Amino acid sequence: MEYLLEGFIKAVQLIIEGDDQTWSAVSATLTVSGYSMGASLIIGIPLGFFLGYFSFPGKTKIRLIVDTMLSLPTVFIGLLVYAFLSRRGPLGDFGLLFTLPGVAIGQTILALPIVIALCATAVEAMDRHLRITLISLGASRSQLVLTSLWEVRYGIFAAALTAYGRVMTEVGISMMVGGNIKWYTRTITTAIVLETGKGMFAMGIALGLILIAIAFVVNLSVSFARKK
Amino acid sequence: MKERPIYQVKQLVHRYWQEPVLQVEDLSISQNSIVGLVGPNGSGKSTLLKMLAFIEKPTSGTVFFEGKPVEPFSDTVRFQVTFLTQTPYLMKRTVFRNIKYGLQLRGDTDNIKKKVYESLALVGLSGESFAHRKWYELSGGEAQRVALAARLILKPKVLLLDEPTANVDVDSSRLIREASLRAREKWGTTLVIASHDLEWLSGVCDNIIYLFRGRLSGNRKTNIIFGPFTPLPGGFYEKNLSKGQGLVVPRPPHENAAAVIDPEKIHVFSKEDLTPSTGKYLRGIITRLVLEKETGNIAASVLIGSFEFCANLSHKQSRYSVLYPGEEVILSYDPGDIDWR
Repeated sequence: MEYLLEGFIKAVQLIIEGDDQTWSAVSATLTVSGYSMGASLIIGIPLGFFLGYFSFPGKTKIRLIVDTMLSLPTVFIGLLVYAFLSRRGPLGDFGLLFTLPGVAIGQTILALPIVIALCATAVEAMDRHLRITLISLGASRSQLVLTSLWEVRYGIFAAALTAYGRVMTEVGISMMVGGNIKWYTRTITTAIVLETGKGMFAMGIALGLILIAIAFVVNLSVSFARKK
Repeated sequence: MKERPIYQVKQLVHRYWQEPVLQVEDLSISQNSIVGLVGPNGSGKSTLLKMLAFIEKPTSGTVFFEGKPVEPFSDTVRFQVTFLTQTPYLMKRTVFRNIKYGLQLRGDTDNIKKKVYESLALVGLSGESFAHRKWYELSGGEAQRVALAARLILKPKVLLLDEPTANVDVDSSRLIREASLRAREKWGTTLVIASHDLEWLSGVCDNIIYLFRGRLSGNRKTNIIFGPFTPLPGGFYEKNLSKGQGLVVPRPPHENAAAVIDPEKIHVFSKEDLTPSTGKYLRGIITRLVLEKETGNIAASVLIGSFEFCANLSHKQSRYSVLYPGEEVILSYDPGDIDWR
């Protein structure tokens, strides 16, 4: 058990002293999760709102598909994106395999169902009197949508946080699509896998602690925003 | 020249799941008037208000506003008509931001603090102690008054109120009624009010519209008695009202038919009066006597079991009979005068 304790001490040293390899992995993680979260929120919030707000034929079927996609295994997404982005694949010409944007595509596929499903649930739970109130106060269609979204902002925050947690901590997509290339596509999670494989527990634990610290800062900011 | 009505409803039919819930062939509402909407639950009052507020589009038919056909979100009415629902909805923000929302949509943000405080004062709330409160820091009556203030600040041309005093305490109810009436005094607002408070409506309304099963049912209160009706010997049927007392009616035309008796066709006698010689009788207790502003008639509400009958007192009766709430009276009616709906 001693190596675990040594690992923690080493981790603190690495964080305090600053290690180029560690910070490269942190930077790759933040960049790729930034891309994928941006894309999944831009696409997912309107779709989630639409799915939760309107009634249309086939809504239950779409909801079932979205809910099923919540359980997509990351390695399976990784495999599909790899197949599409590889030289022989339909999107091979874009040269996105083993790049951060390539990983971001896979992570967007992972986050999108979470954002859509949780936003739709938040919108469905919205008080039906809100619509009448906003129209009767003079809201246009776009003002109605924007104010309704603002009213369910806590539900949307929760959706974004859940998706962010999943994107930051996945390994399958980053490993398969990114290839774990040092200084380039190595993220915190793929680095942990590599370092643990090499028996470098201290580095692995250091990276794990940083990942938790980032999650803590993100949650803290959201909770501060909620109080405001 | 006669003033153009603010609303005209023509051949309106609205359905939910194919089921017609509102059918209004022709209805006009005059500018600056106060109109009451009365009817049992499910009679279509709220649906009619939603149509007048242009929140929902009728399945067929047209609602004209100041002579022009209007649809939801139309710029013609968006900033002129406002609607207060029975259960107030406050947005998840402070009272101040709730009230200023409508003005913000109109781009009218000058002196906003003064305007918000004034509209709070109209509903009897102090801006100093309420403006900064969050939406969840209010009682039911306060929330309803804040919701009304959010409408009054808009100085609307039309204010539609759905049971505004149904779920609030006596004080809030009084303040809501006063504030709504002040809107007409101050800005000439047309008011359409759905309420069960017939006493209030009779006192303030220029016109009362009665609704029953989604259809207009005249401008006078009527008595509607729902089944089941049990058969009596001799071809008549009876609705049991209280122990030993029943309303005798002719044979209902179908299973779901409701019996209707015009208040004019029910006569009220004090026990000291001469007993009437024809028709059927019921014994009951006077609960209210209300003067109808429009007609000058006195309407008596008479409780029999749990059912409250309404009868119009003739001028002769009003003058010579000494009737007062709490007095036991006799109602006489002729089963032949009963209609079916």
